[in-house]
Amino acid sequence: MDAELYLDNNSFIHRLDPRTKIIIFLLSFVAILLFQNPLWMLPVAVLIFLELYVSKAFKNIYRIRVLLIILSLFSLILWNFFARGQTHWFLFVYKESFFYAVARTLLMVLMISAGVVLISTTRNEELVLGLIKLGVPYRVGFAISTALRLVPTIASSTVTISQAQRSRGLDLDSGNLIERIRKFLPLLVPVFISTIRSTNIFAMALESKGFGAREHRTNYLRLKMQKSDYIVLGFVIAFVIASVTLSIMGYGKLTGLKNF
Amino acid sequence: MKEVFSMWKYTRMIILVALSAAIYAAFLIVFKAGIPIVPGITEVRPANVFPPVFSLLFGPAGAWGAAIGNFIGDLFGGTLGIGSIFGFFGNFFLGFIPYKLFGSVFGLVPANDMSQTTNSGKKLLAFEIITLVASAACAIIIAWYLDLTKIVPFAFLSITITLNNFAAGVVLGPILLSLLFPRVKRWGLIWTDIMKKEDVAPGFGKGLGAILMIVGSLGGLIVGVLVATGVSGQTLLGFTGEQGQTAVWLAVLPFLALIIIASLMLSGREQFVEEVDED
Repeated sequence: MDAELYLDNNSFIHRLDPRTKIIIFLLSFVAILLFQNPLWMLPVAVLIFLELYVSKAFKNIYRIRVLLIILSLFSLILWNFFARGQTHWFLFVYKESFFYAVARTLLMVLMISAGVVLISTTRNEELVLGLIKLGVPYRVGFAISTALRLVPTIASSTVTISQAQRSRGLDLDSGNLIERIRKFLPLLVPVFISTIRSTNIFAMALESKGFGAREHRTNYLRLKMQKSDYIVLGFVIAFVIASVTLSIMGYGKLTGLKNF
Repeated sequence: MKEVFSMWKYTRMIILVALSAAIYAAFLIVFKAGIPIVPGITEVRPANVFPPVFSLLFGPAGAWGAAIGNFIGDLFGGTLGIGSIFGFFGNFFLGFIPYKLFGSVFGLVPANDMSQTTNSGKKLLAFEIITLVASAACAIIIAWYLDLTKIVPFAFLSITITLNNFAAGVVLGPILLSLLFPRVKRWGLIWTDIMKKEDVAPGFGKGLGAILMIVGSLGGLIVGVLVATGVSGQTLLGFTGEQGQTAVWLAVLPFLALIIIASLMLSGREQFVEEVDED
């Protein structure tokens, strides 16, 4: 199982400055969170799916499809319990609560997709440098980006170890939830051990390359905002300003919705 | 809280922040698809066993790891939203309180054995108490904010988060800690083996600080729930009643202040014990 989410392509999105990609990522969250009506979320959905298409990052969405499908199904059903409306359809489902559930599901899928675009198109060192240039302390930025990179590695290790144990006859599929968790716990220990054990080697590797030697460090990698970065940023900022304005004007609400 | 900032000068601590965040996030994401309680806000979280365990082993790195891990979990689990801001702070305290409180909780951890394990009944009890206190602190921080912003009612959410955090920690925590401690100790990765004592806040009135932390967390939970159910008409098992009520906001606020004050009073230095060289 390939744990790396970065895709080594040379797409337009890949070539953008990491600062541009981080700002787009954050602004897209603002745009996603503004509206209750799923139809009003479609423009931002189109933009994020366009990013996925241009960067060829649908490959990574496909890799997490099972998680996405399960989350979406749960979300589509459960949000109906937490919202009511005026037009009753059946059981606990109202027209308004259904559209609200669709909007919340879309919100979730879009947030995950926006994150996947960022990680699929930005190398770790670019992400760190981008965070530093945006004002995050170097060490904090390093910790965040390393954690982001390690998540799929840990997930991959868990799968590998569970497959190895299954091949030796461990039955992880039978029993109730408690029994399954109990059987799964011993599998986690090798994952932790292998992950935590690497700390000292990791630290030595970093320090041998001068990590933390000086307070202010220089970087081999030089970031430079190009014309395309400014154009994309200008477009995204204008898009978000327009979305915020429309939201303040009262557009994108689900009339008759009573949530919580 | 000095060590929360001074730890960033230690390379190993930075790596431990990344590792604990990644492990926490990975298992949060796996269980996002498990049993949602409020979709987009919280779900059944067995991964909440990690913050108290990583807190005892990695100290402030465990606290930052919990905060960053929760944020990454929200990001890739599709639950990033307005609640994630205080989710960051709530989870930070879930990983911050255990190591600060461990050596000061009613003298349950003897001064001659400050090892971060549950190798005696008293230390096991200490672990359960600090897990409960940290769970409640995390819960009231998140629920206070989400009630204020009228997203989820305080009574329901604070109880849900407390039980969610505590259930995972109380059952799986001691097992995980006993499995990890010997190895982590052997590799010299316990936080007291990495950091220098002078880089940790000296604290003052630690006994009183421990009491204030317990009162701030559990008191805030109890008073907040009583006010929310009494004045605002909220229920523990539903979404009825008024949210964003000034009464809930004002009732919980002093307890949040107590948690901050207690954080400044507690130290963690008491866990730095000179080890005798057996050779």
